[in-house]
Amino acid sequence: MKHSHRVRNSDECAGGSVLLLDVCFVVYGMDLEGSVKGIITWDGTLSSSDFSLSAHTFCDKWKRFNPSFPPWLWIPCAKPQLVSSHKVEGYVSLENMCLGKSSKEEDNNRSLTWKEERNITEMEEPFDYATLVCPEDEVKHYDFHIIYSPSFRVPVLYFRAYHSDGRLLPLNETEKNLPDHSAKLRSENKWTFITHEEHPYLNRPWYKLHPCGTSDWMNLLFSSDTTTNKNDVDIEQYLVSWFSVVGQVVGLKIPLEMLETISNDS
Amino acid sequence: MSGESPSSVRKVVVHLRATGDAPILKQSKFKIAGTDKFAKVIDFLRRQLHRETLFVYINSAFSPNPDELVIDLYNNFGHDGKLVVNYACSMAWG
Repeated sequence: MKHSHRVRNSDECAGGSVLLLDVCFVVYGMDLEGSVKGIITWDGTLSSSDFSLSAHTFCDKWKRFNPSFPPWLWIPCAKPQLVSSHKVEGYVSLENMCLGKSSKEEDNNRSLTWKEERNITEMEEPFDYATLVCPEDEVKHYDFHIIYSPSFRVPVLYFRAYHSDGRLLPLNETEKNLPDHSAKLRSENKWTFITHEEHPYLNRPWYKLHPCGTSDWMNLLFSSDTTTNKNDVDIEQYLVSWFSVVGQVVGLKIPLEMLETISNDS
Repeated sequence: MSGESPSSVRKVVVHLRATGDAPILKQSKFKIAGTDKFAKVIDFLRRQLHRETLFVYINSAFSPNPDELVIDLYNNFGHDGKLVVNYACSMAWG
């Protein structure tokens, strides 16, 4: 099962037949519903209802442990495509994140600031409104959406960046504004490449981190000394664990306290 | 990286554990200054294993940001006086 899974992923990366692959998933999905559930080795994927469950856990925890950041919000929406499911679907969204990259390497931690922090300095210097925007250091705004991919059965990070006046940034500028560490990660790891694709709900071009390695490293992340059975996996924590990896690629950090609750719960 | 002043710096024992088909290190435990960033652990592994693509994670739950201080990770996730760090490489990604 594991082997065929990998082959499928690389096929799709190389532009192979997506339709055919979806059929494989249906068969696999039925397999999971069967009575042998307990002994099936977990393959690092999750169902769309598990996605919704773990997304809500993720949003709640983010709010609790990261109150100074803008919140991740669950955006419910109807799936426009032909999908058998008639459940309410949705995605997770964090919008209008200000990301102004500083030139100093050691300043990585501070490269992300929310706009309210800027408001504080504004209040301290009430005379200075007119000179607030400096073109060199202009803050770029980032929108992040976490969307479930039914074909890969994993969450996918979509994002876009724009200037204060709303003009979208091209990919090279979008990447340039991410923290230095992010660029390093993307150049070293094959699984973190960015593609330009249509947003499944908004039907506009967004950038996304390609999900072809996600189930493999999620499987690793949850694995322990014994083999990972599906029953041992705390699926509710999936998105928190997932974001500890993906967030690094775009320079969003998860507070340690938020991660600590994973190990305490399990 | 600071952390060379001998007396004041707290050392943390890091236990590097191979998973999957990753090579096992001859010496799997070593001490590192708590004030060092986790990036140093990753760089060390990369040098030892001669691999660029590494997946490093803790507690079967998450992959730490390289900016995190080793002492903070130890305080939150350390057990029995050491911080266990799992690593994997050579996945058939992409």
